[in-house]
Amino acid sequence: MTARRLVAFLLAATTPLAAQSGFARLAGRVPPPALSAIDSILVAAHREGLPTEPLIEKAFEGGAKGVAPDKIVLAVSTSAGQLRVARALLRGAGESQPTDPAEVTAVAAALARGLSPELVGQLTAALPGEPTGPALHAVADLVGHRFAEDSSVALIVAAAQSGLRGLRFLDVAAAAVQELQRGRSHATALAHVRSLLPNVPPPPRPAPATVSRARRVQPGPDRP
Amino acid sequence: MIGAGVLSATDREPTDGEVVAQILAGDAEAFGIVIRRYEAGLLRYATRMLGHPDAAADAVAEGLVRAYRHLATCRDPGRLKSWLYRIVGNRCRSHLARRSTSDLSLDDAPPLADPQDSEAAAERAEQLAQVERALDRLSPEKREAFLLKHVEGMSYEEMAAVTGERIPTLKMRVHRARAALLEALKEYE
Amino acid sequence: MMHIDPQLQRVLDGELPSDDLTPLQREQSAALQRAARLLAEAPAGSVAARVMAEVRRPPLRLGQRVAQWLTERHAVTFAVRPIWSLALAAALAAIAVIPARGPGPVLGEQEGIAQFVGRFPGARSVEVVGSFTDWRPGAVVLRDDDHDGIWRATVVLPVGEHEYMFVVDGERWVSDPLAGRYVADGFGRENALLFVRPLAR
Repeated sequence: MTARRLVAFLLAATTPLAAQSGFARLAGRVPPPALSAIDSILVAAHREGLPTEPLIEKAFEGGAKGVAPDKIVLAVSTSAGQLRVARALLRGAGESQPTDPAEVTAVAAALARGLSPELVGQLTAALPGEPTGPALHAVADLVGHRFAEDSSVALIVAAAQSGLRGLRFLDVAAAAVQELQRGRSHATALAHVRSLLPNVPPPPRPAPATVSRARRVQPGPDRP
Repeated sequence: MIGAGVLSATDREPTDGEVVAQILAGDAEAFGIVIRRYEAGLLRYATRMLGHPDAAADAVAEGLVRAYRHLATCRDPGRLKSWLYRIVGNRCRSHLARRSTSDLSLDDAPPLADPQDSEAAAERAEQLAQVERALDRLSPEKREAFLLKHVEGMSYEEMAAVTGERIPTLKMRVHRARAALLEALKEYE
Repeated sequence: MMHIDPQLQRVLDGELPSDDLTPLQREQSAALQRAARLLAEAPAGSVAARVMAEVRRPPLRLGQRVAQWLTERHAVTFAVRPIWSLALAAALAAIAVIPARGPGPVLGEQEGIAQFVGRFPGARSVEVVGSFTDWRPGAVVLRDDDHDGIWRATVVLPVGEHEYMFVVDGERWVSDPLAGRYVADGFGRENALLFVRPLAR
């Protein structure tokens, strides 16, 4: 039995079943020196009731990018931390338990884009009961273009109050950025878009020729 | 000569307002006057913001084309300069926001000073490189504030029109930029 | 951080005369003015010809603008591109500028289209690797059929959020410069973020 298979066997013998499936997926995609540490993180996350799929994906990503094992472990650990903070924020906003894993993942993604926990908490509290991923990304888009954080949240909340939902929040942010690129100041760009709500133009649909060219993603071969 | 038809009978240089009116009346060639007047300053500003002349040329060219296409939205042609700097500034910020780690760093970019075979020119190029490295250490907001105030020579009112920020905010940024630049320059001595 | 006396700040702002500066303040003022003079050297080069070429170009007909948009470096997906709010956007859905080559895929309710475009002149291969390929290479390969350095692929993807990077020549990972939205990958680089919308609305 090779050393790698022995490690896999021993870990599988002591690991909860749900995390075993994660570990089995990691083998061959993640450098062996990182396997044990990542598995520990997955097990801990599973015990805490956190979604583990984003952590497995982060490990795959590190393996694909040829990142050093210790840096993959660090990134997975950081992602787990962001999931913990995300869940705490959602619980603080009054989300019922258990929190929706998709929501936890979405809020963690917003934190990864640099939004502060305070800002995330502000938005989740302002949109109770709503999936917050697109709203958070819309705010992150605005903040990334140097719109003030409070004003960005206020615009998205106003958009929600005008009846917009989901990916339409991204259209609101894009409209504000577009006004900025036309030469307006940040303040007038926000005011202009607010005056358009809820009739912010959506992006156009793809041309039929584009749709006809589209291909489905093919499963790729594993590369060493 | 680009835009020669806009000169008045006394050959006085037309005001920005007159040039804009001419362009909006259908004389596209008159946009050459706008380019001639502001290109050097915009290129200098963008080069200092982005740290590389090629990226700066892209930002300025994109900004000027956008300005031409949206000229009708320039509400005060008398403040054409601020409007152009705002558009190019926004392009620079977009470039900075999407800059990947594989982009050329300031250390790799060639110095702007044209290296001639003279000791004085070489020394000046080295001094400029030191200042550029120090400037690159500033945050984009402080860098922009210092450039607009001390290199482009704008008043705080003009800077407010370019950036959309309040004057007290801009003053604070410029004050901090001066201190940060001196700090960085001292380390390179 | 170096300290600059408030009095010197006001002198540099032009609010006070410079007569009463201390030697240290004069030294600081001189250093800043020297730096500004060096930075004020205008770079060589001009964008005039490039800009005037665009200015002089006759306005394109609607169909030509659409074709240009599809082939130039504008968009990654319809959900995130920066120029979608052009006036032609409302008419775009009704216009087919390129004859359809076939029926194309049948999309489910929770599927949409993503169009990847990247400019990589001289590249031998370009692909997209991301969350929708399970971070496996080889699944989404771009093509540059006319060898103009512009690589393209149009892909059916599930509705929602995706992260990705381009991989050039099998080894160079590059953030998509046209994505407009990024997230740190935790490994020192940035993944592009993509939101796919349902095609059937």
